Amino acid sequence: MRNKRAWFAVPYVIWMALFVVIPILIMAVYAITTADPATNEFVLTAGNFTGMGLYLNVFLRSFWLALLATLVCLLIGYPVSYWMAKEGPRFQRVAMALIMLPMWMNFLLRTYSWMSILENNGLLNQLFRAVGLLDLLGVDHIQMIGTPGAVVLGMVYNYLPFMILPIYSVIVKLDGSLIEAARDLGADSPRVFRKVIFPLSLPGILSGVTMVFVPAVSTFAISQLLGGGTQMMLGDLIEQQFLGGAYNPHLGAAISMVMMVIVVVCMVVMNHFGEGEEQAVML
Amino acid sequence: MKHSNHIGGRLFIGLTFLFLYLPIFLLIIFSFNAGDSSAVWRGFSLEWYSALFQNRLIMESLYTTLLVSLLATAIATAAGTFAAIGLYSLSRRKRDALLVVNDIPMMNADIVTGVSLCLFFVAFFQGWGAFAQWFNGVQGAVELPTRLTLGFGTMLLAHVAFNIPYVILNVAPKLRQMDKNLVDAAQDLGCTWMQAFWKVILPEIKPGIVSGALIAFTMSVDDFVISYFTAGSSTSTLAMRIYSMTKKRITPEVNAVSTLLFLSVLALLVINNVREIRQEKRAERQEVREPSFFEKLSMKFNQPAYRWVRRGLAGAMACAFLVVVALLTGATSSQPVVNVCSWGEYIDEDLITQFEDETGIRVNYQTAESNEALYSLLKSGGADYDVIVPSDYMISQLMEEGMLEELDYSRIPNFEKIDPRFRNLPYDPENKYTVPYTWGTLGIIYNANMVDEEPASWGALYDDANAGNVLLINNSRDALGAALLHLGYSVNTTDEGEIREAFALVADANRRGVFQGKVMDQVFQKMEGGNAAIATYYAGDYLSMVDNQADGVDLRFVIPEEGGNWFVDAMCVLKDAPHFDEAMEWINFIASTEANLANMDYIWYASPNSEALERYPAWYEEEYGEELDPELYEIMAVPADVLERCEMYTVLPPATRSLYNDLWVQLGT
Amino acid sequence: MSKELIRLSDCVMSYGDEVVLDHINLYINDKEFLTLLGPSGCGKTTTLRIIGGFLSPTAGDVLFDGVRINHVPPHKRAVNTVFQRYALFPHLNVFENVAFGLRIPKTDGGGHKVKISEQEIHDRVMEMLETVNLKGFEKRPVSALSGGQQQRVAIARALVNRPRVLLLDEPLGALDMRLRKDMQNELKRIQQEMEITFIYVTHDQEEALAMSDTVVVMDGGRIQQIGTPEDIYNEPKNAFVADFIGESNIIDGVMRADGVVEIFNRKFQCLDKGFDKDEPVDVVIRPEDVDIVDEAAGQLKGTVTSVTFKGVHYDTIVDFYGFKWLIQTTDFCPVDSRIGIKIDPDGIHVMKKSQYSGMFGDYSSYSEEYEELDVPEPEDGEESGSREGGHEE
Repeated sequence: MRNKRAWFAVPYVIWMALFVVIPILIMAVYAITTADPATNEFVLTAGNFTGMGLYLNVFLRSFWLALLATLVCLLIGYPVSYWMAKEGPRFQRVAMALIMLPMWMNFLLRTYSWMSILENNGLLNQLFRAVGLLDLLGVDHIQMIGTPGAVVLGMVYNYLPFMILPIYSVIVKLDGSLIEAARDLGADSPRVFRKVIFPLSLPGILSGVTMVFVPAVSTFAISQLLGGGTQMMLGDLIEQQFLGGAYNPHLGAAISMVMMVIVVVCMVVMNHFGEGEEQAVML
Repeated sequence: MKHSNHIGGRLFIGLTFLFLYLPIFLLIIFSFNAGDSSAVWRGFSLEWYSALFQNRLIMESLYTTLLVSLLATAIATAAGTFAAIGLYSLSRRKRDALLVVNDIPMMNADIVTGVSLCLFFVAFFQGWGAFAQWFNGVQGAVELPTRLTLGFGTMLLAHVAFNIPYVILNVAPKLRQMDKNLVDAAQDLGCTWMQAFWKVILPEIKPGIVSGALIAFTMSVDDFVISYFTAGSSTSTLAMRIYSMTKKRITPEVNAVSTLLFLSVLALLVINNVREIRQEKRAERQEVREPSFFEKLSMKFNQPAYRWVRRGLAGAMACAFLVVVALLTGATSSQPVVNVCSWGEYIDEDLITQFEDETGIRVNYQTAESNEALYSLLKSGGADYDVIVPSDYMISQLMEEGMLEELDYSRIPNFEKIDPRFRNLPYDPENKYTVPYTWGTLGIIYNANMVDEEPASWGALYDDANAGNVLLINNSRDALGAALLHLGYSVNTTDEGEIREAFALVADANRRGVFQGKVMDQVFQKMEGGNAAIATYYAGDYLSMVDNQADGVDLRFVIPEEGGNWFVDAMCVLKDAPHFDEAMEWINFIASTEANLANMDYIWYASPNSEALERYPAWYEEEYGEELDPELYEIMAVPADVLERCEMYTVLPPATRSLYNDLWVQLGT
Repeated sequence: MSKELIRLSDCVMSYGDEVVLDHINLYINDKEFLTLLGPSGCGKTTTLRIIGGFLSPTAGDVLFDGVRINHVPPHKRAVNTVFQRYALFPHLNVFENVAFGLRIPKTDGGGHKVKISEQEIHDRVMEMLETVNLKGFEKRPVSALSGGQQQRVAIARALVNRPRVLLLDEPLGALDMRLRKDMQNELKRIQQEMEITFIYVTHDQEEALAMSDTVVVMDGGRIQQIGTPEDIYNEPKNAFVADFIGESNIIDGVMRADGVVEIFNRKFQCLDKGFDKDEPVDVVIRPEDVDIVDEAAGQLKGTVTSVTFKGVHYDTIVDFYGFKWLIQTTDFCPVDSRIGIKIDPDGIHVMKKSQYSGMFGDYSSYSEEYEELDVPEPEDGEESGSREGGHEE
């Protein structure tokens, strides 16, 4: 019955072409053109790309902060997934639900809650004041909001579940007999972890890293709320070109293209060395 | 993997959960706060919950969020399921190729998806406009709308587009696992393919469909970025509403709505978990079980005698769903509407309700962040506003570009009450396009408890003495304007050297770490909470900050000695606005003395209505039983001599504008 | 005996360049137990799926009761199938699985929808469950059943619809040895009780011989031989059939005259006739048809190279002039002993040379495992009986 149902895929193919492929092509067209101020007609130019050196700092900052956030997520997420997988099934289910739960509140709400914690007069500084830490240091407050650290914190907070879920789902499916076999062959616990568990959970790590890194590098709201506008990132830059103060969709499209290409290259490289195990992408 | 954890593992997991949930608990706790602070506890109260249900902006956006998520989930689930089945009937090579395309929206950054879809829609609308014009020209039978804009429809399409891949990703493995012979077996037993689909395939892949739908719904609810770029201006999801609120002042109503959302999801999860655990226990026992009540019920419904009941129920549910959708969309389309875009916290919201009650016209009230952002929105084709409230220089620019419609002053009798001082201003010399909304000045707001001396000069903004405590206004015109004033130049200079000099002043201070951040409306939260010492902002906003300042914060306002900027924000109607008549009604209503008094009292910006301006102190006394502090009134409506010292912005030539833009972007990097 | 029910005439099935069925001609009689036998990839399942309606042949006709049914969808055929892995519906319990087909409204001759009453459904399902010995299991989820029980549910599910023909696609493949034997008897019993046609697909020749009225041996998309189990075993048409059905020693020979065949330069009496004089032929000698005698008395002399005790007999491999034979004998002959053999004329079967000549029948690398046949794509050979229509009853 194979080919008889193939037409089911036709609307999908059209849909994907219309809403995935063509928009990206249009974006590409914008990226290599600019609007003539007099006639409003598109003129071919490479200026959007050549002029991008101006924003090198934004690129570097975005990739640097996203990398940091990914790393922190991994450092927290891996042990959590690992230890969670060792617990009983009921614990695991509840834990999974608890990890998913915050995702049902919009990430802006979650980010906003950090604002009130990190402000100079916020809860954390109040706490420090109450315990006398601020007096001890002789300062009025500890500057937290508006620092790169706050942005990284916001990203880690928002994207940590994206790291835990894939790693956990790989570890929990690990064949127990492999571990027993390794022990049987004389491996001690650290060695079992190093030689068996870790290499086998690599696909989960890779998809976790992708799922954290991609949104982190392109985020714009988090950096605005927690970075106080001083930590401009690629997302902010793009937003400014479309809906923000500096209206230049051509430049915005060009930056988006460059970002997309860099991200794709990173992912291809990573998947290549991870032999692309994809089923871990979804929970 | 069945070793019990040592204590360290559990502790680590516990700490991680604490990290995940502490902020949420704080959010919840402060939803019960009596004050409107999100950092200082002022006692228990439920006021924010009652306020929430009366806050139509939040409720509307909540409703939009749920509607778009549910619709997108339903559509994407159905479409994705069929697509997955189609994909599995293709040859392996074709399927793999398509699955790569399927991955694009999931792997792409949200912002790229959002931006590309936004450009796609705008391009489509342009093409459509040309087509519709041609089509309407060659025949008269069908009139196609020529002007389409971003809105709920485009946002829904975008949500469906990014949800489908998730559904496919969840359904596909179930199809792969399904015994291929099941469909054959069903057909062999007499089913047509369609019957086999309903009776066999669907029950088999149901877990995949359910989890796909669940993930799609989660993604939709959680999404902000894609909605932000594709919803245009007339629709706001909760996230977008919150985003625009974070710019100004988030009221604990947001905490309340988050709490409700959180608790309802929590309840759902708990129910689901309990059910699963029960099922598991049953499976463990492996015994023939007594069917549950629901199963008995469903078995009963499966009997032919009940078929009509079943069909009726299904039909009724489908009808109900359609009716609800139709009502909800219809109610919004059949009723006259006016789309208004203003600034955050820039209207007494009771006025909206009052206007709606009086005229029966629904007001779709949206806000933009700045004149520049508004301009971007208009340019990108994302806006279908009727009435906007830009500032003077932006009005000139919009007029220059032919984006404004002439007003019909015969239908705005209240225009008569506008003080002559605010008519025929340079931005609209013949006064054909505008009705002033407010006017005011830009100056320095400072926290007297955080600075050593009053910042009498704009120089205080760049002074190392205030390092880390200055908020730079996130608007190139105002930020560079202050620097220009400090250097003794005109705020309207077109001299590149002067502008660059001013920029150097700002950029240098930025490098030295004088600025805590670049903010627009976030200035409220920062200044009121005592989180920053000095900011450049508008006099009217200063007054509402004073109202909300935290303990130990003493906010003052000053127009520095070098002089300041004064501005007028005026209501205009966009070219080809779809609801011109309603727009006239709205403008006339807002220009009335009563509305001006209410607004003045609410937002603390001076009114251009001479009656209102004159009557306000008396009105205040009557309303609150105490005298209006004349000093405050002077800040709101500056006396003529101070106004003399202030300069109004004029529109800058394109070259200067792009210089401003380039410089401003450099500052951010 | 009984009349013809299904006929495949000149059926071809190909996917692009790949020919899966190469001009199949076959008819199947009513109430017959017919087995399609062959190694995997021989086209037997494809043939079955064509009859079931899951595939339409690329060329040729499928006739049911004389009516062409090439494009009649499966749900409109009076044929039901028991699938390889049963294909039970996991979301339904035993009763509902069996009742599935009965609950589908059928259209009668007059175009009216006919529905079977709940009562009748219940009765028929229960009756059928009784037939397959599953009474009392009706409320169980199918996942809680053993393989054999699932198998029986699948049979009940198909039979409850009272098909004219039941198609069984390797139905016992997933069962263990013992259960298989039981189910073979069970199936045969059900077939006789219900008096319907069974078309059975298997790669297990023992199963085929034990159950069938007619066996169709297939390979490479062609029918190699059609016949009763006895015919197939005793009179294989070519080396492939001889090797696939039971154990055989296949030796090159030359037909010297009617009833005289020469092997290893020695003449043997046989019963076969009708060959050209001096025609090269393949000679099949079944291992159990060889008698071991003293070396001196033997028609052929050889050396024992290995002996395996099999319970009833010994599998003895004997080297004759470099060619190794399998001999099944109750006499124990130690390894390295020299022995002679005698073969009765009815123990010798002579076949014409075919594309399979020289590929089978040598026990040099004898192992007890089932040998997966790696048959090269047949050349356009016109030999062998693949194009002969039908089979003798």
